Amino acid sequence: MAILVRLDRVLLERRMSLTELADRVGVTIANLSILKTGKARAIRFSTLDALCRELGCQPGEIISFEPGPVDFADEDEVEYGGA
Amino acid sequence: MRTLGPGSVSSFLKIILDVTWFVLWVVIGALALAALAALLLSFNTELISKIELETDIGDRRLLGPALASALLAGALYMGGVLLIVGNLRLIFKTLTAGDPFHPDNVGRLRLVGLILAGLELGRWAFWGVAALLLPKVDQDGGGLNLTTWFSVMVVFVLAEVFREGARLRQEAELTI
Repeated sequence: MAILVRLDRVLLERRMSLTELADRVGVTIANLSILKTGKARAIRFSTLDALCRELGCQPGEIISFEPGPVDFADEDEVEYGGA
Repeated sequence: MRTLGPGSVSSFLKIILDVTWFVLWVVIGALALAALAALLLSFNTELISKIELETDIGDRRLLGPALASALLAGALYMGGVLLIVGNLRLIFKTLTAGDPFHPDNVGRLRLVGLILAGLELGRWAFWGVAALLLPKVDQDGGGLNLTTWFSVMVVFVLAEVFREGARLRQEAELTI
């Protein structure tokens, strides 16, 4: 995906750990880790609002767009078993 | 009306499915035993000729094998129904766990649709073979059953709905 999450950089600049941020914004470390590693499919405005408030930054500092090949392969990753 | 928990429609359906599941096991067991008995009896033509059974089968020697085949086919049919009910119970388990759009349910619904189609085709095959081997016997029930094929279509449509549900579920899981 061409959307990049720069949460690790912002955290480094603020000298804040992921655990502390998770406590402050009320999102689990696992979910923040998904967001940080760019595995998230979407982000709620409420989450973005909490992140910007606690990190004292603009949304553009956390997420950015970099043109490149769009990879939608992960959209069909659901495995339909059960038979 | 409650959707889950005691007194809900789903709990009522769960009871029906559980009862059907156990009744089917009993019926299959009884049919299999009866088929075995009929097969064993067919070896003793004297004994079978003494059995008073109202049938269109002219040749009494065919009575045992025909009865055994019919009972076995019945047991297989019920086995298919048992598989359907088993899959429905598994789907219901995900519903009561609060996760009805589990990806496994797509495969389960597709399997239910395939079994329904297979049972109908099997019924046709059974009546076709019976018509060939026992032409004197009344061949009722071998016709096209539109309700069954409509049910197959409904199940496959539901499977596609569940596939989309499973995709949305995964998307929701990765929404932070």
